[in-house]
Amino acid sequence: MLATRTRRRWLIPIGTAFLCLPMAGCAEQPGTSQAQDVRSLYYVILALAAVVFIGVEGMLLWSIVRYRRRKGDQSEPPQREGSTRMILLFFLIGAVLVGVLFPFGEVTLARVLANPPPVEVINIQASQWQWSAFYPNEGIVTSGKTFVRPLVIEVPVDEPLHVHLVSNDVMHEFFVPAFFFMRNAIPGFPNDFTWTPTRLGTFNGQCAEFCGLGHARMTFVIKVVTEPDFLAWVKVERQTILRIKCPPSSGNKLHITAKNISWNTNCLAVLPGQPISISVTNLDAGIDHNFAIWNGIDTTHQFFATGKFPGVGTRSDTIQGLRPGKYYFQCNVHGPAMAGVFIVGHPKQGGK
Amino acid sequence: MAVIQAPPVARREPLGRRLLGWLTTTDHKKIGILYLVNSLGFLVVAGILALLMRTELARPGTQFLSPHAYNQVFTEHGTLMIFLFIFPTLAGFGNYFVPLQIGALDMAFPRVNALSFWLLPVGGLAILSGFLAKGGAAAAGWTSFAPLSVQGGTGQDLWILGLAIVGTASILGGINFIVTILRMRAPGMTMLRMPPFCWSVLATSLLVVLAAPVLTAGLIMLFADRHLGTVFFDASRGGSALLWQNVFWFFGHPEVYMLILVAWGIVSEILPVFSGKPLYGYRGVVLAFLLITALSFTVWAHHMFATGAVELPFFSVTTEMISIPTGVLFFNWLATLWKGKLRFEPPMLFALGFIAMFLIGGIDGVWMASPAMDFAIHDTYWVVAHIHYVLFGGTMFGIMAGFYYWFPKMSGRFLSRRLGLWQFWIQLIGFNLTFFPMHILGLRGMPRRIADYAPDRGWTGLNTLATLGSYVIGVAMALFFFNLLMSLRKPKDAPADPWGSGNSLEWATSSPPPPHNFDTLPEVRSSRPVYDLRRSRQGLTAGESPA
Repeated sequence: MLATRTRRRWLIPIGTAFLCLPMAGCAEQPGTSQAQDVRSLYYVILALAAVVFIGVEGMLLWSIVRYRRRKGDQSEPPQREGSTRMILLFFLIGAVLVGVLFPFGEVTLARVLANPPPVEVINIQASQWQWSAFYPNEGIVTSGKTFVRPLVIEVPVDEPLHVHLVSNDVMHEFFVPAFFFMRNAIPGFPNDFTWTPTRLGTFNGQCAEFCGLGHARMTFVIKVVTEPDFLAWVKVERQTILRIKCPPSSGNKLHITAKNISWNTNCLAVLPGQPISISVTNLDAGIDHNFAIWNGIDTTHQFFATGKFPGVGTRSDTIQGLRPGKYYFQCNVHGPAMAGVFIVGHPKQGGK
Repeated sequence: MAVIQAPPVARREPLGRRLLGWLTTTDHKKIGILYLVNSLGFLVVAGILALLMRTELARPGTQFLSPHAYNQVFTEHGTLMIFLFIFPTLAGFGNYFVPLQIGALDMAFPRVNALSFWLLPVGGLAILSGFLAKGGAAAAGWTSFAPLSVQGGTGQDLWILGLAIVGTASILGGINFIVTILRMRAPGMTMLRMPPFCWSVLATSLLVVLAAPVLTAGLIMLFADRHLGTVFFDASRGGSALLWQNVFWFFGHPEVYMLILVAWGIVSEILPVFSGKPLYGYRGVVLAFLLITALSFTVWAHHMFATGAVELPFFSVTTEMISIPTGVLFFNWLATLWKGKLRFEPPMLFALGFIAMFLIGGIDGVWMASPAMDFAIHDTYWVVAHIHYVLFGGTMFGIMAGFYYWFPKMSGRFLSRRLGLWQFWIQLIGFNLTFFPMHILGLRGMPRRIADYAPDRGWTGLNTLATLGSYVIGVAMALFFFNLLMSLRKPKDAPADPWGSGNSLEWATSSPPPPHNFDTLPEVRSSRPVYDLRRSRQGLTAGESPA
């Protein structure tokens, strides 16, 4: 009775463990060369784990079945205690297993952390609760919109991709399950790593370090495409930015509102030669925003910035001395996730 | 207080007097029971929070917990389970049984002992009262990583306050245990004749005294950053966000061993009693406890592999090395069963369940000990599975074994065997249904601590399964509480050694013991004084068989 029950109790974990875990039906197919190495390591550990699991659970089951006290047997089993030699052997078994496992892990680690000369570079910025991606070589930037749509990053296949990762506020984590990799985005402590995507396709990613209210929705998508497709995409992204236009506000009075980590507009325009007044409303309770005007998306020169302030609140300010031209504005806390074009110029010229 | 009644008194005193007695007691046994009752109360609260979480996660979409509510619920679940259920339960068993097992009258500092208990409900209620605060309870996770935890509202302050109080209580308790064990042992009870349970309490107390102050320091820094304008964790003004993680995990990893060592001790008591054999390698077990205690201070940064800011090979190899003494424990437990005569009473079933389940928690941890692999599964449901195989499959099964094993000693009454068997099997099945699928969810990339997930990610079926499993666990827990309440109405008929095969000194006195613990203390000439006593009553000397 007890024996059959005991056997049955193992059906669940064994059934699941040894049908799904070994076949990697559990995880996605690896999407990078590094992920392939990690998958091999997974199997090495699985092999060792299976030996230990079957050995220990097998001995346990055997003892339960074989050494249960029979009815009416009141005699005492032999009072045997372990010799020092046996105890040493116990220590040795574990030491051998660690001795085998550790080098495998180190070899894989060296491969995962290897830094081949990058062909493509992206800088990823995390903030509550959005991702932004800068392509310094291509001069483009993309971002999602918090609670509305995720960031979409396109990268070329088979080329080492260098990712430079930093956070603007709290801890985040850049995680792509199919790439078998995550890395924290840390304020004030940039992280760097390299991926070599080997598989065309669209891969889901999301923040894996709990970062507050919008954590579950801080998702993104990586599209691994061919080189020509990538170049075409870059071209379209560049033109999208250049094409943004809007009419100047009357009397150079600007009003902009932040809600759900987004501005209510991606374009502000004014007439040249007159002072500009701006009022910034922050409707995100407890979250800091500010309004800043920069030379462009590479943010090398800042022309104007209000102080950061938490919602709900409104700040007004005056902007002076901007020459005609096309500028870039953003919230410095959230970067491109809250950004747009700031045009100082004649309305007919469209700000050029 | 309703759960367990006072030990017998000659004449039943009026209720007010008895209540006052419980409030003012310095008797380690009564304080031990207070610990257990308080812990079970928090188990109910934290367990309900777990069920709320699982219900929300059963299907994609936000059904009945908003993300903000969900964040509070998982934060409080983790905090209460760890700091107000698991640890105080183990401390409760320690309070009741360490003085008995070493043949002492009481703890070394009885009044400090009472203080360290009474701080617990205060701290626990402070943490829990966050639900009444504006903006809700703490919602930054039980790890409360800065700078996120700098943002929260009053609930976060209550969390800091409550944890500082609970931490102080545990430090006082730890000192008390260390002094009691080192200075209060009966004649003949040398260190190497002490039951393994006492060793596990000693090791845990060392961890508490060395690690808990570090958490307190971290909590003070966090509070200062929130209210006093300091910038310990603010990178933009010269602080470091990683500082919190280093401080927290320097405490937090020894903490994990504080939560499991005593369960190992309990299992190491129970297996010999129900196998009819001595613990196979007593010295090996003690050595393993001490090695793990020491090593646990060298592994904290394995929680930080994915930060890219720690020395990976060092923390990887120390982490893997902990599996060596842990393996020694397993081998000793198995060898204790080997060629024994096993009796499947509820304590034994839970102890065997402990070995089977904790093994899985040990094995799935090995994947995470290897940094390259950890990068793939860190902060996913794999970690949630791992921690629950360790703390539920391990500690919770150990705690249940302890309750069934010692309840007759504490109350004079047996818990129902029949209900115990039902509870065991239902708990075992529910536990595996809930937590095993989480391994696969982790491999499929489901991050932990998300209030919601998209229906197209392939996570729905396994989440539904896990939620159903959690309800099965709920049934098992309900059976346990029902068993406790029903058993308290039974007559007090448990003999001094209710299992008939006890080894350690608590079985040499009546059930429950008198206030002064022992009328006569048997001579201690080995690590199994009650076994020796039984043998000498049978007119046999050690080594002979009674056949």
